[in-house]
Amino acid sequence: MMFASPFLWLMMIPLAGFPLIYLIGRAGKRLGASKASISFWMALLALLVMVLPLYQLGGQVLAGQMPVLRLNAITLRMDGVGLLLSGTVLALAIAVTLFSYRYVGSEEGEEKYYALLLAMSGVIIGLGCAADLFNLWVWFEAMAVTSYLLVAFYRNQPGALEAGVKYVIQSACGSVLVVLGIALVFTHSRSLGLLQIPAKIAMPAPLVLVAGVFFVVGFGVKSALVPLHTWLPDAHSQAPSGISAMLSGVVIEAGLVALLRSLGVLSGLGAPIATLLLIFAVLNMLVGNLMALRQTQIKRLLAFSSVSHIGYMLLGLAAALGFGAASGAGGSFFHILTHALMKGLAFLSAGLLLYCLRIAAGSHEPLTVDDLAGAARRYPLAAFAFSVAVLGLGGLPPLAGFMSKWQIFVGGFQTQSPLLQWLVVFAALNSVLSLGYYAPLVNRIYRKQPSDIVLAGKAAPFTMNLVLLVLSAAVVVLGFAPGLVNALTESAAVSLLSAFGL
Amino acid sequence: MIETLILLTIALPWLGALVVWRVGDDRPTVQNAVAVGFALASGVAALGMLPLAKPGTALSFAVGGAFGDFTFVADGLGVFLAVVATVVGSLAVIFSVDYMRGEAQLGRYYALVLFFIGAMAGLVLSSNLLLVFVFWEITALCSYALISFNNDDPKAVAGGIKALIMTQLGGIGLLAGALLVYAHTGSYDINVFMQQAHTLPAALLTVMAFGFLIAAAAKSAQFPFQTWLPDAMEAPTPISALIHAATMVNAGVYLLARFYPAFEAVPGWRTAVVVVGLLSAFLSAIMALVATDLKRVLAYSTVSQLGYMVYAIGAGGVFASQFHLLSHSVFKALLFLGAGAVIHAAGTRDMRQMGALGKHMPFVRNVFIIGALALAGIPILNGFWSKELVLEAGLAHGPLWAYLVMLIGAGLTACYTLRCVWMVFFGAPATHHHVHDAGKAMRIALAPLAFGVLTTWLLAGAFGHLLAETLPFHEMEAETTLSVIEEVVTAPATLVALAVVGLGLLAWWQRGVLKGLLYALRAVARLAEDSFGFEAVNRGVVRWTQSVAEALRPTQTGILSWNVLGILAALIVVALILVLGA
Amino acid sequence: MQWSFPMIVIVVVLGLLGIGFYGLLIVRNLIKVVVALQVLAKGAMLALVLAGELAGQIYIGDSMAITLIVADTIVAVIGLALAVQVRRHIGSLDIGHLSKLRR
Repeated sequence: MMFASPFLWLMMIPLAGFPLIYLIGRAGKRLGASKASISFWMALLALLVMVLPLYQLGGQVLAGQMPVLRLNAITLRMDGVGLLLSGTVLALAIAVTLFSYRYVGSEEGEEKYYALLLAMSGVIIGLGCAADLFNLWVWFEAMAVTSYLLVAFYRNQPGALEAGVKYVIQSACGSVLVVLGIALVFTHSRSLGLLQIPAKIAMPAPLVLVAGVFFVVGFGVKSALVPLHTWLPDAHSQAPSGISAMLSGVVIEAGLVALLRSLGVLSGLGAPIATLLLIFAVLNMLVGNLMALRQTQIKRLLAFSSVSHIGYMLLGLAAALGFGAASGAGGSFFHILTHALMKGLAFLSAGLLLYCLRIAAGSHEPLTVDDLAGAARRYPLAAFAFSVAVLGLGGLPPLAGFMSKWQIFVGGFQTQSPLLQWLVVFAALNSVLSLGYYAPLVNRIYRKQPSDIVLAGKAAPFTMNLVLLVLSAAVVVLGFAPGLVNALTESAAVSLLSAFGL
Repeated sequence: MIETLILLTIALPWLGALVVWRVGDDRPTVQNAVAVGFALASGVAALGMLPLAKPGTALSFAVGGAFGDFTFVADGLGVFLAVVATVVGSLAVIFSVDYMRGEAQLGRYYALVLFFIGAMAGLVLSSNLLLVFVFWEITALCSYALISFNNDDPKAVAGGIKALIMTQLGGIGLLAGALLVYAHTGSYDINVFMQQAHTLPAALLTVMAFGFLIAAAAKSAQFPFQTWLPDAMEAPTPISALIHAATMVNAGVYLLARFYPAFEAVPGWRTAVVVVGLLSAFLSAIMALVATDLKRVLAYSTVSQLGYMVYAIGAGGVFASQFHLLSHSVFKALLFLGAGAVIHAAGTRDMRQMGALGKHMPFVRNVFIIGALALAGIPILNGFWSKELVLEAGLAHGPLWAYLVMLIGAGLTACYTLRCVWMVFFGAPATHHHVHDAGKAMRIALAPLAFGVLTTWLLAGAFGHLLAETLPFHEMEAETTLSVIEEVVTAPATLVALAVVGLGLLAWWQRGVLKGLLYALRAVARLAEDSFGFEAVNRGVVRWTQSVAEALRPTQTGILSWNVLGILAALIVVALILVLGA
Repeated sequence: MQWSFPMIVIVVVLGLLGIGFYGLLIVRNLIKVVVALQVLAKGAMLALVLAGELAGQIYIGDSMAITLIVADTIVAVIGLALAVQVRRHIGSLDIGHLSKLRR
């Protein structure tokens, strides 16, 4: 019976696997098998094997079931939202692992990297499936811990250390606030189960209102709501590129999912929550885009663009939660998926250039806009992938980002509320604004005259190119056939709306 | 059958784009052959649709969710524009064989051109508003990438980004309209919308009508978005001919024509369309009169001629506008490609550096003059017939003041056209280059266009028939070519127009005598050179946005204490919002 | 006014939070920042215990508090480990020197 449960496999592989990877990788190093990078292969294998149980679970979830896993006091329940998050994190983690083969291959502490990457994937899946409020926090905290260590992976680089310190302190502040919120909700409802609490909360209750404030701000730190986003540009730009991709592609979205789960408990608060999300949506889109507009470091620019993309997701979610427009939620979940693909692709292709132009030469200088000049001549695939990624992020068809934004906009218009419709127009204007910093990058990368640093660059490793090719293909295919993931996003939207009693 | 042809028309160029990209830049001959082959094949497929055109949905793919069904339609309007896109596209590709010889990154160039041709055909053949928007944006993307094809030139990059941003801004009008339709009817299908248009709330139709007008104005470089097109002239000349004269810029006119039956009753809409067309036509004609860059003159003239088409739609002359679109595509493509041959040979775009090139390149001179006469509206070339039809439609159904302004515009057109031809091919030689006539591939592309300028007007009857038969929502009468000719020839308005055109020609001829008048108008000329202040507005908006962005940057202090303070501040603000809201 | 037990605890919790945030805002030494974070977390821990008490489910409250202690210790360890590296590679524990990444 135990061995028949795919859910158990899905959780056990990463959580039991990551210490093993660390220890065996460590031991392998001691024994002198340094080039075999056994930790890489183990992590890749573990992630690939996880696809099978997830596939099985996915079938059950899409068929309307809710697979449950009980381990003593811990209960995990996979619904549509959990499935979407798990699928996204697994897909991106596989890509990142493969990409990192050469990227961190020459670094010391490689085994730490792969072990933490696997652990992070596992705990994010746990976060997506947590069935009670405190468990949600524990997974959330575990995710934070794994990401702290990964952000500060280059532990002898001042930049990485500074980013790590800010990230740890700010995240921990947010985490404390979440705990306070949990304490308040528990006091009031005497329960922790996500499904049980709503029935036990008598509205209106000032205590619950305060808990709502704590949840929004506490989880908001991790999901980079403006003005809580200040750690993000530092952390995303200083982490190894694969980790930047994970942070931007799934970690902040996992924060958003945690926020939604906790707010679902307080669904009695009703409309003010949607208003709040709308305010953050506007702030995130505007501040993220304007801050990105004048950046000269590629990864920092991409980091600010993540801030703005959280704004789009919030817009769709607010349309769904405040006005019952299911397309808004579906669009936001679709955007979580496409954003993970596109931002992952953007960070990884920037990472390829960073690796070939700097890291392989032993430098930890950031990749700047000027370095891109003419990169297409030497790195045609990376240049193409980067262009696909940023143009997709800017919302140009036929790329996936256009379709997910469109679905969010449909949600906005379906509310029939003039305010939401104007906000959609505002969001569209923001997309145009974002092209103001994406397009010049594409122009620069396709210059005919390569910059000196490009000419001196190292050849692109095959594994990196392979990852970029697959991700680019995914972004293009989803742009042509958005219907492919309808079932996934719709089931996530249904789960979310039912959690809010809509 | 027609389903297959629709798919082929769109997919063949896209497939060609993939192939040409994979061929690699070290084999330019193969790239040339592949590009020409796929473009021609798509042109044949489009021509094959002509006899099969029919109203209603021809092809449908279920996508589901918030995306509806991806439906395609092959009615007269769509098929006709698909033919223009693929045929002119093929000729532009053939022309490129000579023009782009020896250029780096040829694969990217051809891939983008072919991608554009497929997208343009898709735009006019799809009947799902989401899909229309998708193709609309893809054409903008290709246009941007091709304008700034020479990425090392900052002017080309700036021009490309400007074109992208401005058409995107306008595109929001189309986006909002499409989303409104879907939110109200639950379908993106254009035919469903046209059927239900009269049952929809008036406010919704108004928003849509003006939203679409904004989108169309941005795409067709009409007032007040006209500034991007002249800057787009940094593109390689075959691109200017294809995208910025013959096809993409027509998309706005197409959109207005397609939705005219739904919007014509919206109060103020038709007047707005007339005003947009009129201002574009008139102001750009003046700008064309003072410009000295050969391609810019043609660009201003494109804006001006598109203004005539928009004006015709506002006046209710959908057929006249589409007929002028056909003529304009042919003669403007001819003019641009001819200009390309001149620029290729002379090595400059400045008309003051040219002069007396006619005797060195007689072939180009001859075809260019054919195109120029059509632009000026001289009988019996195609531009004459269609412009007369536009003016007649304006006189019959539009306001008189607008007609008078457009009439003056026709005179100005004749004047700047003659000026352009004179400065390039006649007059005193400015520099002595080793000028050569057009190459073989260039001639192959120019000759059919010149032939088209001489003959496409004979298609008036067949074209009207095609539109009238397959557009159920447009009220159009099919006339024979003969009756169209008779109508134009016998109308007194034609004589008036011809007289004005003659005056325009005379004005250039007697420019010495008119010196005093020109001197008096020099303030206008200076304004025109600065495109009547719209460039300043564009620059101001860009500068303002950048300074706001720059001013925001210090908020990212990088100091931990301030970051924590941000968390506390958010805590207080969120608490206030929730408390006040509850 | 009668000071009930929960109210006293609440005051202590608020006091700890206040001290913690105050510390985060004004302290410049990285080690002290980590300590301030610990004070904050202890406030939250106390709140969990109180919540268990008030909800009549003391065991749940306590087990949450214990979990929090574990998590919190890990964060503290990471914070201190970073501090060690910061001292080694930047040469100072002053967080004022940790502001190279900005704008």
